[in-house]
Amino acid sequence: MPNAILDPTGRADVAEAPRAGLTLAARRRDLSGIRVGLMDNTKHNAALLLAEIGKLLATEHGVTVTVEATKANFAAPAPEDLVQRYRDECDVVITGVGDCGSCSASAVADGIGFEQAGLPAAVICSDAFVVTADAMAELRGAPGYRYIRTAHPVAVLTTDQVRERAKHLLPEVVAALTEPVAP
Amino acid sequence: MTPVQSESTALTETELDPDAAQAAIEYCYARGWSDGMPLVPATRPLVDQFLAAAGRSPDEIIGRLPQLDRSVTVELAAVNAAMAGCLPDYFPVVLAAWDALMLERSTTGGGWQSTSGPAPLIVVNGPVRAQLGLNSAGGAFGPGFRPNATIPRAVGLMVRNAYGIHPHELEQATQGLPGRWSICMGENEEESPWPALATEAGLPAGTSAVSATLLRTCEFVDNRHTGSAEQLLADFADTIGRSGAWIFRHASAGIVFCPEHAQLLAGAGFDRAAVRAFLAERSGRSTAELASVGKDHCDDNGVRGPGPGSGDDFQRMLPGSEAQHLLIAVAGARNAGISMVVRLFGGWSGSAVPVQRQGEL
Repeated sequence: MPNAILDPTGRADVAEAPRAGLTLAARRRDLSGIRVGLMDNTKHNAALLLAEIGKLLATEHGVTVTVEATKANFAAPAPEDLVQRYRDECDVVITGVGDCGSCSASAVADGIGFEQAGLPAAVICSDAFVVTADAMAELRGAPGYRYIRTAHPVAVLTTDQVRERAKHLLPEVVAALTEPVAP
Repeated sequence: MTPVQSESTALTETELDPDAAQAAIEYCYARGWSDGMPLVPATRPLVDQFLAAAGRSPDEIIGRLPQLDRSVTVELAAVNAAMAGCLPDYFPVVLAAWDALMLERSTTGGGWQSTSGPAPLIVVNGPVRAQLGLNSAGGAFGPGFRPNATIPRAVGLMVRNAYGIHPHELEQATQGLPGRWSICMGENEEESPWPALATEAGLPAGTSAVSATLLRTCEFVDNRHTGSAEQLLADFADTIGRSGAWIFRHASAGIVFCPEHAQLLAGAGFDRAAVRAFLAERSGRSTAELASVGKDHCDDNGVRGPGPGSGDDFQRMLPGSEAQHLLIAVAGARNAGISMVVRLFGGWSGSAVPVQRQGEL
């Protein structure tokens, strides 16, 4: 009997199928009067894009932006105390922009983290990083997690172009926060 | 000589079973474990030799990426090192290289997933170089030498398999760096005019140790006709100060000097600290030059982009003259004045990790 070939992944005993789908936060019926948190990940134009979306939501849907914070380390998911702050002061969270190898995956991990904290989240990722964003969703037990894809690149846009982008993304942001999610 | 070598060399050609070997190699490909090149199928008896060589607990966790919920143990490191083609005796160096890389923020964050596709630079000092046959002379950047080729490959396989970071999935390198997972060299201590890199990093002289960092890119400086240390260093300053790989307010670098350049500098009175001081002051570009490439202005996050910049004021590239900002090693043949400038992905820890072999603690 020859020796077995050893598995180098440490996952030989782990089931192939993704973990059972997590329960996502219940969506809002509408956004009127709710508290919105924005979390930018320091990537260029992220803070501006989120701020513009926040302004549009305020004027067109009657939300109040209550938290505008920055996640210092774009490569890692948001620390617990930051998540807790959004939980204490917001009803929904919008975050991004995932436009690099680690930060796209982390942006999706953040969205799923907010969902687990009871906050519907709208995550914005560059469409060049769909594969890595999807891989993270699967890793976090939420395969197929809905996030918002925007055309790559975002970092080179001018201020006016970022405003245009915010307008363009607004319906998708609203939909992500209000349309019921699959059970 | 390890048991692995003695067993295989004792067999004659007809006793080996190439068909079985080929089938086992294809099995490893089919499981998605390979970096593209054939793997050595790892078995319990082989991996046990690796573990025995290092003498560390197989269950010890030596790396963890919480965002991916994955970790690397000494056992998994041994399996991957065996698959990479290492001999058991190399394993303590693999572990020291891994531990040295873990001292950097980027390796415990998002570095392995980065669009930059950074490559580890692994520099080995001390008697372990001769014990393993690790090349520190001609062709130090490879290829041609088993320990030089397989030790960094083991690191790459650990990232791929134990962390599950695969290209086109969680690994998002735009192009990647030539030499990724293949840059490992001994320092040419025998022809270096300066103390060993590990000694500079604070370890006792003669210690077998590994220094490592992640590289953004490499570019050589070929200068073999000046006898002036200042002219030579000015050539390095020009190459280091190029704008192409410079994306944040400051950027750290390194130089793997060939013996000829190192000896010329030492002969003119330059030790490592003096080289760093010279280059920290002179490596960079004027604001106008940076403006011409759209990199003159730093935003609130310290990221360079186009600004209103003009003028002749000089922006230094290196954050300072400390060793962490300009790693200096010596490797290669003493046959020409060709040295490599390397650009660090983040910064270097400035530390060297001793190679711990069983019974040598």
